[in-house]
Amino acid sequence: MKARMLLMIFLLSGEATIAQKKLTNCVGMDFVLIKPGTIVIGEFKPPYPVPDDTVKSLPHDYMMWMGDGRGYNEAEFRLAKEMALQASKEGFLFQLSKPFYMATTEVTQGQWKKVMGNNPSQFKGLAGADSLPVENVSWDEAQAFIKKLNRLEKHKGYRLPTEVEWEYAARAGAKNDIPWKEIEASANLNKKTPMAVASKKPNAWGLYDMLGNVWEWVDDYYNERLFADREPPSKGNQHVLKGASFVGDVKNATYMTHAGGPGNGWDVGFRIVKDAEDQDD
Amino acid sequence: MIKLINTLLFFFASLGCAHAQLLSGFESLSNGKDLNQWHTSRTSHQGTVGNFFVENGAITLKQYPYGQGGVLLTNKKFKDFELYVEVKIDSFCNGGIFIRSTESGQAYQIELAMPGGTGSLFGEAMQISKSAEAIEIGKVWKANDWNSFRVRMVGEIPTITLWINGVFMWEVTQPQNDFTAGAVEGMIGLQSHWSALYQPIPGGFNMPGAWRPGAAHRFRNIAIKEL
Repeated sequence: MKARMLLMIFLLSGEATIAQKKLTNCVGMDFVLIKPGTIVIGEFKPPYPVPDDTVKSLPHDYMMWMGDGRGYNEAEFRLAKEMALQASKEGFLFQLSKPFYMATTEVTQGQWKKVMGNNPSQFKGLAGADSLPVENVSWDEAQAFIKKLNRLEKHKGYRLPTEVEWEYAARAGAKNDIPWKEIEASANLNKKTPMAVASKKPNAWGLYDMLGNVWEWVDDYYNERLFADREPPSKGNQHVLKGASFVGDVKNATYMTHAGGPGNGWDVGFRIVKDAEDQDD
Repeated sequence: MIKLINTLLFFFASLGCAHAQLLSGFESLSNGKDLNQWHTSRTSHQGTVGNFFVENGAITLKQYPYGQGGVLLTNKKFKDFELYVEVKIDSFCNGGIFIRSTESGQAYQIELAMPGGTGSLFGEAMQISKSAEAIEIGKVWKANDWNSFRVRMVGEIPTITLWINGVFMWEVTQPQNDFTAGAVEGMIGLQSHWSALYQPIPGGFNMPGAWRPGAAHRFRNIAIKEL
């Protein structure tokens, strides 16, 4: 193990005690070990309105957006149901066979500066900027950071997560997409600036800001479809972005959102993973 | 000259031409054939795929797949400009014209929603300081037909003016530039609203009233003049 520090922490989960390995690297980035498992990608079951449903519980602003009440006629109810069921997809089961370490936070401006010696961020002038996520970085620039970090630690273990790895880690075992209350507890959304990483609640596997704060580049090329395919494209013009940003909302700051570059720039960053070694299996 | 240009544009519009001739100083943003001057936002909360195409000479926005809207953006950014566009919208659908939009669709927005707030000035995915309402729209609006919008946006702290079917609706000067990171230019965007989540989610709600199944917003004779 070439990392400077290896810690074992013990989390109580029901009656079982689970060991979660952690490590910290040469520029102070914390990682947790993500163990193999399965994930369903792209399970699309869009809800549709039914005649006895009600919208009375919606906040006033949303009522306004929806126009003068719902007012669907019978034919529209039927069509909505038909279109929703036609569009529904079971998704596909994906088996992750290898463990990996995932950074508990997005790469910060401070960490970027230590590795790269510069700071491309739009929000570098804010107080405490070293703890804000680095942003305004392209996918290629993220790769340059990773290359240099690997060189610093003299190995090839750091890389961007694949989209499946990212979503598996973001879900932390959750089968369905994330409830809105959990989004609000864990994600920096509807703001004018990013906030210091790890300011909000982590997910069940100790990962912060998987949703909100900044969009995160993943390794895969973007397929220009609603969800990932089992095999990502072998080439493309853009790469996939996950997790939405501080200008996002509960609609797109979910595990499932499969977005593509370039995004706004000033709300696009990344986090990294590190290949686990044999003893971590 | 601007008055003359607008008069001519309105003349073409009144003839019901699908393709108005391009006038001096204005740059066409719709060729009636394809979306080569446009692209889809891949990071909008409205949806990342969109269902955007040209039909009968008009840029047409629908949802795809069910419940997912999206934002269609010009490839080019504009700072100070006058935009002319003819719009035909199905009822009970929430869309809008975005001005100085970011790639993810943060923008000042001219609302398109009938019944509802067509012609209102709102923020899309951002708070704006000052909104506006087209109180007089009822006097000029042609239901289920083409209606022309002329939108002027000038200044780093923007002043925005709206005319519908050639009639002045409002002018608003914001007390500040509301854009994240202080952007002073951006894209023109056309929006179709989302109406359903990916899955039923505890605590989440859907917005079926925001877009009728199979409905469309249509746009033609889009032209812009940089000021």
